[in-house]
Amino acid sequence: MLDLILCVDDDPITLMLSKKVIFKTTFTHEIITAQNGEEALQFFDSIRHKGADFNIRPQLIFLDLNMPVMGGWEFLDSFNSLAYSDFNTTTKIVILSSTIDPADLEKAKTYPMVIDFLSKPITLSMLDYLSKKV
Amino acid sequence: MKSKTNQLTITYILIAVFVAIVFYKISIKYYYLDYYKIFNFTKDLALVFLTGMTFRYILSKNDNRNKIIFEKLKKTNDEIKESNEKYDIVAKATSDTIWDWKIQKDKLFWNKGIKSIFGYDQDQVGESSKWWFDNIHPEDSIKMSIKLYSFIEQKTENWQDEYRFKCADNSYKYVLDKGFLLKDENGKVIRMIGAIQDITKQKKEELRLKLLETVIVQTKDSIIITEANFNKTKLPKIVYVNPAFSVMTGYSVHEITGKSPDLLRGINTDKDNIKKIITSIKNREESVIEIIAYKKNEEEFWLRFSMIPIYNSENELSHWVSIQRDVTEEKKQEIEKEHLIRELTKNNKDLKQFSYITSHNLRAPLSNLTGLLNLIEDIPIENSELKEILHGFKNSTNLLNETVNDLTKVMIIKDNPSTRKEVVVLKEVFEKIQSQLIFSSHTHQTILKVNFENAPLLEANKSYIESILLNLLTNSIKYRSENKILEISISTHQAENQVIFIFTDNGIGIDLERNRDKVFGLYQRFHNYPDSKGLGLYLVKSQVEAMEGSISIESEVNKGTTFTITFKNN
Repeated sequence: MLDLILCVDDDPITLMLSKKVIFKTTFTHEIITAQNGEEALQFFDSIRHKGADFNIRPQLIFLDLNMPVMGGWEFLDSFNSLAYSDFNTTTKIVILSSTIDPADLEKAKTYPMVIDFLSKPITLSMLDYLSKKV
Repeated sequence: MKSKTNQLTITYILIAVFVAIVFYKISIKYYYLDYYKIFNFTKDLALVFLTGMTFRYILSKNDNRNKIIFEKLKKTNDEIKESNEKYDIVAKATSDTIWDWKIQKDKLFWNKGIKSIFGYDQDQVGESSKWWFDNIHPEDSIKMSIKLYSFIEQKTENWQDEYRFKCADNSYKYVLDKGFLLKDENGKVIRMIGAIQDITKQKKEELRLKLLETVIVQTKDSIIITEANFNKTKLPKIVYVNPAFSVMTGYSVHEITGKSPDLLRGINTDKDNIKKIITSIKNREESVIEIIAYKKNEEEFWLRFSMIPIYNSENELSHWVSIQRDVTEEKKQEIEKEHLIRELTKNNKDLKQFSYITSHNLRAPLSNLTGLLNLIEDIPIENSELKEILHGFKNSTNLLNETVNDLTKVMIIKDNPSTRKEVVVLKEVFEKIQSQLIFSSHTHQTILKVNFENAPLLEANKSYIESILLNLLTNSIKYRSENKILEISISTHQAENQVIFIFTDNGIGIDLERNRDKVFGLYQRFHNYPDSKGLGLYLVKSQVEAMEGSISIESEVNKGTTFTITFKNN
C-alpha cells in the first residue's frame, strides 16, 4: 500500500471519480490533487525544503496530458529536469489519458519516470494491476 | 590481186614484145653474116636474159609493196587484238553487266555479269531483246522502253535509265543502265552496247533515308539541327528546322535558318537554364531542358527540348540535334496537380489532427461516465424505475463507448498502414480470444472446428489478428441462426507466398445480391439488431488491408457465411 499519490487532472469529475475508485481499494493511504502541471510543480516546490520527510512525497502521480495552463508534456519536461532531481528518481508517473494518438504513446516512453500509459477511466482492475507493478 | 597479176603479166609481155621487136630489127641487119647461127643463138640468150632481168625487177618491186601492206595489216591486227584483250579485261574487272545488241538481227549478247549479278546460267539467257524487256519490272517497263526507243530513233543524245530487273531467283534488282549506239557509214544504227550497273544497295539506302526523312518531316515534335560551335556570342547557328518547328513557333524555315535559337528567348526565360544550355554545349553533353520560350507572335510557352551532340566519321563534333515540344499544357497540369497535392496533404493533416482532438474530447467525458456507472454498480438501488433508467443509461453509455473505441481503432489503422509485423502463433491468439468470448457465449451451444495445422504461423500484426478473429467470432455469435446449433469452422492453408485463412459459420447470412458492395462499408447494417453498429467488418477489412492482405465474402441467407482472407507471407 502506498502512502501518498498525486492526481493531476483539470476535470473535477475525473478527480472525484479517481478518488472514489482509489478509496474503494487499499492502493494508497492518501490522495492529493492538482488541476494542472503548474499546480503540481508548485506542490513539489513547496515540499522541497521540508527535508527528508518521505511521507509528504508522493510515490506515484496519475497524470493527464491535456490540461490548461500547463499540460502533461510540459510538466514532464520540467519534472525530468535537474531542478526536480530530488523527486524524479523516487516518484513514478502513470499517464492516465483519453488520448488515442499513437505518437503520444511513443513520446511517453522517452521519460524514464513514466512507468505506464493507461486509458481513462480508472478502474479497480487497473489499480490491482498497478499495485503489483509499483 | 587478180588485176595486179594481169597488170604484171601485161607489163612483162609489153617489155618482152618490145625487146623481141628490137632484136628482130637487129637480126635483119645482120642476116647476111655467116656466123648468123651463133649470132641468132646469142640474140635469143640475150632476149631471155633481158626479159628475165626485167621480170625479176618487176617482181621484186611488187614484193616490196606487198611487204609494206602486210606490215600494215599485221599492225592493225595487233591493235585489234590488244583492244579486244583490253575489252575483256575491263569486262571482267567491272561489276557491270555488258550487253551488245545487233538491232537489225535482234541479237542480244550478254557478258558474264548476267550470271554473277543476276544469277542466270547461259542457257537461261534469251538471245533476243524480248528476254531483256520481259525481265524488266512491269511498273518500269513502259517508261523504260519509251525512253530507249526514242534514243534509238536518235531523238535524244544519251541514254541512261533506272529500272528494276528480275533475277534468276525472281527477286528484283535496281539497275542503272547506260548505253551508246554504233552506226554504219550511212549513219544507220546497227548496234547498241550498254552497261548495267547494280544499284540495289544505293537505291535501298536511298529509300531508307527517304523513310527516315519522313519521320523528321512528319513528326509532331519540332526538330532543329544546328552547327557545332557558338555563333560568336550566341548559340550555334540553325542549319535545319522541320515543319513541326514552324508550326510550333510560327517562324518559317527561311526566317530561322542561319540564325541562332536565341530568337526564342524572352523576358521570363530562366537565366539558369540558359547557362545549362551553354554548359552543355561547352562540355558536349547531352541534356534535357525546360524553359519558357517565345513564339514569333511573342506568345509565351513552355518548351521542353533535348540536345544531342552529333559526331562525324572522324569523330569530330559536327552538329547538335534538338528535339523539342511545347509542354505548356503539361506544365499547367503539373502545377495544378502539385497545388492540389499540397492542399490535400494539408487538409488531410488538419483532419487527422481534428479527429484526434475530437476523439480525445469525446473520450474524456465518456470515460467519466463509464467510471461513474461502474461506481453506481456497488450502490443498492431500491426504486425500480430509477433502476430501469440507470440500466438504460448504462447500456447506452457502453454502446457509445464501443463505438468511439471502434472509430478510434479505425483511425489509427488508417493512419498507420505500415504496421509492425511479427510471427503470430494462430493457436495462441485463438485461445486468448476464446477465453474472452466465453462470457458472452456460455449460454449458447457452439460447435467449433479449428484447424491451423496447415499454416500454424502468420507474419502479421498480432493485435490486428486478435481484433479480426474477435470481430468475426462476435459476428457469428450475434448473427447465429435461431433454430440451429451454431457451427463455426476456422482453418488456414499454405499457398505459394500466401496464407489463406477461411472462416465459415452456419448463421443467418447476408443477402449478397443486394448488399455485396456494402458488406465491408462503414456503418452498413444488414440486420435490425439493437447492438449492431455496422463497424465490425469495416474494421476487419481495414486491418486486413493494412497488413497488405485481402478479404472476400460468400454468403447465403439462412445457410451461413464464409470469409476468405489472404495474407502475403514472405
